[in-house]
Amino acid sequence: MIARKLLGDGGVLLLVALLVLAAVLVPLANLSLPPDSPLHVSNTSVQLFGKYLAFAMLALSVDLVWGYCGILSLGHGAFFALGGYAMGMYLMRQIGDRGVYANPDLPDFMVFLNWQELPWYWYGFDMFWFAMLMAMVVPGLLAFVFGWFAFRSRVTGVYLSIITQAMTFALLLAFFRNDMGFGGNNGLTDFKDILGYNIQANTTRAALFAATALTLAGALLVCRFITRSKLGKVLVAIRDAESRTRFIGYRVEHYKLFVWTLSAVMAGIAGALYVPQVGIINPSEFAPANSIEAVIWVAVGGRGTLVGPVIGAFLVNWGKTTFTSVLPDFWLFALGGLFVAVTLFLPKGIVGLIAKLTRRRAEKPSPPVDTEAGVGTAADARAAAE
Amino acid sequence: MTLRHREAATSFAETATRAVAALPASVLRAGRVLGLAAGLAAAGLSAASAQDETIKVGVLHSLSGTMAISETTLKDVMLMLIEEQNKKGGLLGKKLEAVVVDPASDWPRFAELARKLLTEDKVAATFGCWTSVSRKSVLPVFEELNGILFYPVQYEGEESSKNIFYTGAAPNQQAIPAVDYLAAEGVERWVLAGTDYVYPRTTNKILEAYLKAQGVADEDIMINYTPFGHSDWQNIVADIKKFGSAGKKTAVVSTINGDANVPFYKELANQGIKATDIPVVAFSVGEEELAGLDTQPLLGHLAAWNYFMSVDTPENEEFIKTWQAFIKNDKRVTNDPMEAHVIGFNMWVAAVEKAGTTEPDAVIDAMIGVAVPNLSGGLSAMMPNHHITKPVLIGEIQGDGQFDVVWETSGLVVGDEWSDFLPDSKDLISDWRAPMKCGNFNVATGKCGGATQ
Amino acid sequence: MFTFRKALTTLLVMLALVAAPAMAQTPTDTLRPLVDALGQGGFDGAEKAIAALAATGDPAVLPIFEALTAGDLNVRKADKRVVLVREEGGADVAVDPLTGAVLGPVGRRDTDRLRVNNRLRSAIAAAVAGLSLRASDPQVRITSAESMFKAADPAMVPALAAAAADEENAAVRARLEQALAASVLRSDASDDEKIAAIGVVAARGDRDALSLLNNIASGTPGPVQQAAADAAAGIESSLAVWGAAQNVWYGVSLGSVLLLAAIGLAITFGVMGVINMAHGEMVMIGAYTTFVVQEIIRTSFPGLFDWSLAIALPLAFCVSGLVGIAIERSVIRWLYGRPLETLLATWGISLILQQAVRTAFGPSNREVGNPSWMSGSFEIGQLSITYGRLWIVVFSLCVFAALMLLMRYTPFGLQMRAVTQNRRMASVMGIRTPWVDAMTFGLGSGIAGIAGVALSQIDNVSPNLGQSYIIDSFMVVVFGGVGNLWGTLVGALTLGVVNKFLEPYAGAVLGKILVLVFIILFIQKRPRGLFALKGRAVEA
Repeated sequence: MIARKLLGDGGVLLLVALLVLAAVLVPLANLSLPPDSPLHVSNTSVQLFGKYLAFAMLALSVDLVWGYCGILSLGHGAFFALGGYAMGMYLMRQIGDRGVYANPDLPDFMVFLNWQELPWYWYGFDMFWFAMLMAMVVPGLLAFVFGWFAFRSRVTGVYLSIITQAMTFALLLAFFRNDMGFGGNNGLTDFKDILGYNIQANTTRAALFAATALTLAGALLVCRFITRSKLGKVLVAIRDAESRTRFIGYRVEHYKLFVWTLSAVMAGIAGALYVPQVGIINPSEFAPANSIEAVIWVAVGGRGTLVGPVIGAFLVNWGKTTFTSVLPDFWLFALGGLFVAVTLFLPKGIVGLIAKLTRRRAEKPSPPVDTEAGVGTAADARAAAE
Repeated sequence: MTLRHREAATSFAETATRAVAALPASVLRAGRVLGLAAGLAAAGLSAASAQDETIKVGVLHSLSGTMAISETTLKDVMLMLIEEQNKKGGLLGKKLEAVVVDPASDWPRFAELARKLLTEDKVAATFGCWTSVSRKSVLPVFEELNGILFYPVQYEGEESSKNIFYTGAAPNQQAIPAVDYLAAEGVERWVLAGTDYVYPRTTNKILEAYLKAQGVADEDIMINYTPFGHSDWQNIVADIKKFGSAGKKTAVVSTINGDANVPFYKELANQGIKATDIPVVAFSVGEEELAGLDTQPLLGHLAAWNYFMSVDTPENEEFIKTWQAFIKNDKRVTNDPMEAHVIGFNMWVAAVEKAGTTEPDAVIDAMIGVAVPNLSGGLSAMMPNHHITKPVLIGEIQGDGQFDVVWETSGLVVGDEWSDFLPDSKDLISDWRAPMKCGNFNVATGKCGGATQ
Repeated sequence: MFTFRKALTTLLVMLALVAAPAMAQTPTDTLRPLVDALGQGGFDGAEKAIAALAATGDPAVLPIFEALTAGDLNVRKADKRVVLVREEGGADVAVDPLTGAVLGPVGRRDTDRLRVNNRLRSAIAAAVAGLSLRASDPQVRITSAESMFKAADPAMVPALAAAAADEENAAVRARLEQALAASVLRSDASDDEKIAAIGVVAARGDRDALSLLNNIASGTPGPVQQAAADAAAGIESSLAVWGAAQNVWYGVSLGSVLLLAAIGLAITFGVMGVINMAHGEMVMIGAYTTFVVQEIIRTSFPGLFDWSLAIALPLAFCVSGLVGIAIERSVIRWLYGRPLETLLATWGISLILQQAVRTAFGPSNREVGNPSWMSGSFEIGQLSITYGRLWIVVFSLCVFAALMLLMRYTPFGLQMRAVTQNRRMASVMGIRTPWVDAMTFGLGSGIAGIAGVALSQIDNVSPNLGQSYIIDSFMVVVFGGVGNLWGTLVGALTLGVVNKFLEPYAGAVLGKILVLVFIILFIQKRPRGLFALKGRAVEA
């Protein structure tokens, strides 16, 4: 019972509390405890877990549209990367004249490719607030325009998934172009400072970790608020029976557009938090494979829950980190096997598994809520309607 | 579990087979979770020797993803070199141990694993990376944690880090001599074709400036960029043919990246462009790439490298023999980045012996001036700019997938990290010896620019 | 100094020979110094020696040229003599290239191999062409005339004029006259002769002619230069018209590649509704099957090489099809009705398959050769069509037609359509739906496999092969309309042609981006693709 509650609504609050606690304790354990102390958290771990937290936030944004509204996006990596690029551009401008060519305005990659002046779209990125605003506005705007067209034309299901994939693939190709002025394949790298603090300093890293943990906690609270509100109920209704919801009188496309744009903004913020921690942003973040992987994190953790994506992102990425160094030649088998196994045996992810186990223990057999069946019915109904 | 296992597996014989030895335990574990077949468990854990004093060497090459195609071979070369060194008694009386990781062609993961190698495994040196972006990704990590990275691939230059030793060619060790050779063969019109990323862009910028300095007119240079993995070359090859029919001898300078090369050459062959009509000189096509092609129609197209498998020296013969025995395949080819790793590894060994320690600062200082034999019969030396001296060879593709050297520099060429043909970099030099210790010293202003320590 | 003097003597000897060919009574003795000169003075010296050998007009030099091109000639370091090195009785021996007499054993480092570069290769080609202008095989004569046209050597004017006058075969004579005209243009003939020659060259109308004319046109101004410039402009404008047609062909050919890559997906994804991310790996398996077949043929039955693709086709279909059936039976059958989850599972499968192939075959590219009937090109007017591409277009249309027939006119096709349209009803009617599912998935995978056979001819055969086609394949199927094979056909060809028409203006990268944006916008307009089917339960 308790476990079930933990994975449900109470779990979100608990997770938020844990994140806040981690935001305080991990930096403390990293900075103030001596390295030989058993409770010491190494610099590597701080950075690694900071990265996982950013991924977790991306997973959460995917879950918000997929798990709660039934929009399977295969292009969320694009929003994540755009947010990352906004942050990357700020960090590039912060280098100032400390680049190898000591050019005060132009980033190094522009200097050696003979750019004479800064392109207009780089203006303003020397200001942190502007860059952060852009990290939210650019992905949000792209999502809004994309969603406005797509939802209005009632592009649904696999069609939507595939065109989101086309979107991220087109952006991938575009950012690879050196003429775009974003550093081409090499991307943006060799950052020095963030807000005046050395980006390689342990304190900065700890602070970034804390900021990411707190932002994720905030995002969880926002998602919790939305999914518990009336709006959230309508979203679930859209997921389970879109046509029916429309016939009842809801403007389905408005709801979808709202949650889609919000989710893109969240992904953008996640990207902006990710970049200073890994030290590079490059077009391969747009790769469709990355977006698919984000979906897989959600599936592994359990979609339609808020705790699931966070658990999934942590678990899969931790697995990747471990396997790539322990089994360098074979880890893809393990990863591929994991995805197959999860879809086959854990259709509702890890959270669903735990819920099922605890339910069995509580000896309260109830028919499993099958959202897919709902989707199927909706599809049939729609097909019949046409 | 894994950590303990790694520490236990110390003697080199186990290191070489570490992947296999580590497999049963991990697969068993994974098998329990994932229900994978655990048939490999029969291999059993080999008894770990108790000799715990080893020097660890990081191998940071992609074994999966898009770059695995090129990088896996380099991992094998490193394992071979380490095995050979251990046969000779190791280094400073200790055995070497390879720590192999798979960054999976994922650039942030390169940085993550570099950090892991330096902090958790405490490797004395790392050999790795192929693409420029992977090097750019790990560079801050190596500088922050004061590690040593050997980078074995030809690249665009414009970089010099205290912690990185560049054993591949800089543009002046590959591109410019190749253009010189073709110009001497009567070429007056140039197609600069490349994949759209930094290496081709920079190389072509340098070549364009160089050609114009040689009096080539604007309309005699055509520049073309294609995306990664471009596979439909029909109209680009037709355009090249068209460009080549202006009545002047035309050549293609190709900086097309690995994957796109096979379809490019197949299209060339099919459209009947022979090397005698329009020769193509490539900087990223070596023996490994040709292994996936029928080279008969490509006879005479060129490549510029610092090493070819066909180089006829006793050192090279020995190396090929050892390599084919190690990989248990007498058809496996060798290529230029492999030689770069051989040189880099031997230089590192020599520097460690000279310094008497694997302490990074001591080794970095000892590296400069170290000279070891390369495989083409000369001595390559590490210069103060962390680039090495190399011969430049130009080879023509033969029917058997090998190159025939048709031209070579009379002496060795020093790698020039800051190109003289780019306006902003011509005043920069790099010298990592005391007292300058600067990677981008501006001779015009007399200052060490940037924030590099 | 010695070498130089020797080269000089050689030159003198050569001159004497040219002046009095009748004197050559002991051909081997007079040829020998010329042959030895091949090894002197690097490529420059060799080039002169080739010209000298060619000028003898002696057919005995042909085998020398062959050996030189093949890289069989060596310079013996001891006496600078050019020899053939051959293995005899387990040891290397030096052989006189003219007489074939064994000169004694040589060690591995006693000789230097004579290398040939592009310049020498052109020189040899021109020399051989000059010697074979009167060969008995008309094809050889045409090849020679073509080489002579490219070489445009003024010294060959008399020989070409004589050969053209004696030539009886009209096709060969035309080529010889063009070669003659090209040589005349480079000679010091009168302006009238040259202007007449320009007319002959311009009549060819192809790129080689254009190249030559442009070259003349950039020379010193005068009536000849003017005539060449006019002729070049004329060729260029006619080539521009052909260029448009050529572009359509490129588009169709790219479209046929897209069609091949997508058509299997049109079944597994379009008809069955499985978002099959492992589709690309089925293509890859087909390509690797081709590789294995060719390997076996190369080692055991070299004579069958031209048949290798024909043998590989059914095998690739079976191998990929069986892998497909295995995947369907073990994983996908549990996921019907949950289409989005098939995406995750098949993604995992694709990772496993990629790594499995990488483990089995290594990560590097594998060589799949082109059979002779897939190599080279031919021309219709100025439209150059490569055989490989032509066969792929034909092949993809055949596959498409076969698939349509199968779907429409066989009991299995009927059952397949019944099951995908209404599974429960089909089951009630006695159709074994699980069997039909497995067979349908196997069919889609098998077709992906035979696509792999075709794609192995134009692309890399590496573990990443599938990844490079998967996104394009999905775009084609979605653009054409899920569940409709005609949509896939029209979609693939449209995207191919649009792409090729954008490329010259926007460049390859931007062209591809524009195509993707076009697809996104198109889907807004027609959310179910080009040929939307109504009432399908495929869409989720």
